[in-house]
Amino acid sequence: MTPTVSAEGLSLHYGGTRALDDVSLRLTRGVTGLLGPNGAGKTTLLRVLATAVPADRGAFTVLGNDPGTARGRQEVRRRLGYLPQTPGFHPDFTAFEFVDYVAILKELTDRGARHREVRRVLDEVDLGDVRGKRIKKLSGGMRQRVALAASLVGDPGFLVLDEPTVGLDPEQRMRFRELIARAGEGRTVLLSTHQTEDVAMLCHRVVVMAGGRIRFDGTPAELTAVAAGRVWNSAERDPGAKAGWRTGTGSFRNVGNPPAGADLTDPTLEDGYLLTLDDAGVEVAAA
Amino acid sequence: MTWHVDAEDLRAYAQGELAPPMLWSADTHLMSCAECREALAAVSDPVALDAGWDRLDAELDVPRRGLFESLLVRIGVADHVARLLTATPVLRRSWLASVVFLLLTTVGVVYTADSPTLFLALAPLLPLAGVALSYGPALDPTYEMAVVSPLHGFRLLMIRTVAVLAAGLGLNGLATLALPSYGLRALAWLLPALALTATGLALTPRLGPVLAPSLVGGAWVALLVAADRAGDGPLVPFTAAGQGAAAAVAALAVGLLFLVRDRFDVFPRSAV
Repeated sequence: MTPTVSAEGLSLHYGGTRALDDVSLRLTRGVTGLLGPNGAGKTTLLRVLATAVPADRGAFTVLGNDPGTARGRQEVRRRLGYLPQTPGFHPDFTAFEFVDYVAILKELTDRGARHREVRRVLDEVDLGDVRGKRIKKLSGGMRQRVALAASLVGDPGFLVLDEPTVGLDPEQRMRFRELIARAGEGRTVLLSTHQTEDVAMLCHRVVVMAGGRIRFDGTPAELTAVAAGRVWNSAERDPGAKAGWRTGTGSFRNVGNPPAGADLTDPTLEDGYLLTLDDAGVEVAAA
Repeated sequence: MTWHVDAEDLRAYAQGELAPPMLWSADTHLMSCAECREALAAVSDPVALDAGWDRLDAELDVPRRGLFESLLVRIGVADHVARLLTATPVLRRSWLASVVFLLLTTVGVVYTADSPTLFLALAPLLPLAGVALSYGPALDPTYEMAVVSPLHGFRLLMIRTVAVLAAGLGLNGLATLALPSYGLRALAWLLPALALTATGLALTPRLGPVLAPSLVGGAWVALLVAADRAGDGPLVPFTAAGQGAAAAVAALAVGLLFLVRDRFDVFPRSAV
């Protein structure tokens, strides 16, 4: 399958920080999860791929276009949907007005066609009934859906979502996951998240970043398998474990290198993620 | 209800053939009259009726044009450009700030000073501040989405700049009319205003949208203070030589701005 995004050796430094360090990846159709602790470089990578920030080194293409040139960058942007980590709104706008404004930025200049597109994307995120409501009167989850609708204007082939489920309650998160799954049908979605549940439920592939580098790239099952034989239960917290916590049953769940005769248990995606970070030298208790 | 849509008009409405203004009256009336909606259903084929409701629904969604937006469209500004300009609260704020600033300085000059120097000194700062207030990640909540949109960042900046300059320079021009006794001297703010605004914009990619105009504004004030201490008579920036220098600076800054135009198309490093 031809990759939608193909990146080689992306690096970016600012100040004294190495935000991206020789990142290479290929993204194909479907939802790819991007996991990593704070400061891992997820948002920077998303901004580079969304053409908001140029990399110091390396190159990439999106849908065959090279954003290194002005013309290529514009072509990429025509086929890009981007939901930033903290989407900004003009709070006095209605949902319709905000998406209409973004549609103008996306070069939909014909009024009738633009308004039809605005209604389509608002319906797609199930906000058709509140499109005339002011954004400041909408709940946090609804605002995120307005921002998602704005990112869907023009039916982009590549959708970049930066932690869209942060701050949402479980019901809103579930609803948002449905929308992301729907948006991922027929297009390439790169989803940055802290939530391993998002990845487990939505993604066909997961990339783990830490310290500006890619530490894992594979399927969620493969990431889970990283922890195979490295998760065990015990009555007390095992001091030799990389991380351990008391579960609802009262016993401790430990991840790391189990002692001989340990009561091994099935790993989860989160266990695999924690051990991947640990293998990369990241303090997993802080992750 | 004092009236109902008659059967002939309902049939025309159902077939999409009813013309304004009767169409508008029928739209409004049907929203509130169940009796006419029933009569409409009876004369319509269901598909056409659904299309009619969709059209009505769509009309109700459309953002209403305000006074200023309507004015812009009427004078020939493209619909989407007018929307971009008037829908941006930062622009509205910068225009409002321009008006307030200008009223205060004009009143101050006319009633408390015996020369236009104060007005000439402050007026060039108005468009500089107006443009600075209309742009940048700190002031535009949609900045990040705008940067990655296909509309080139420099083009968006220029649309906003021209709008702010038109308002700022226009208002300055009107204020100049309040100083008729000074003749052309009262227009000596114009070239410095263009020079400051262009320089502020040209330095923005390197220094950021707050520091660049602040430094340029500060340099202008420092220049005026130095000129004031240098001697009596009109301040150097408002002499023929000073005006020539302002024109040269404006031309250079515009050239530099053109050269760095692509830098407005990505996030400033300071904001990453």
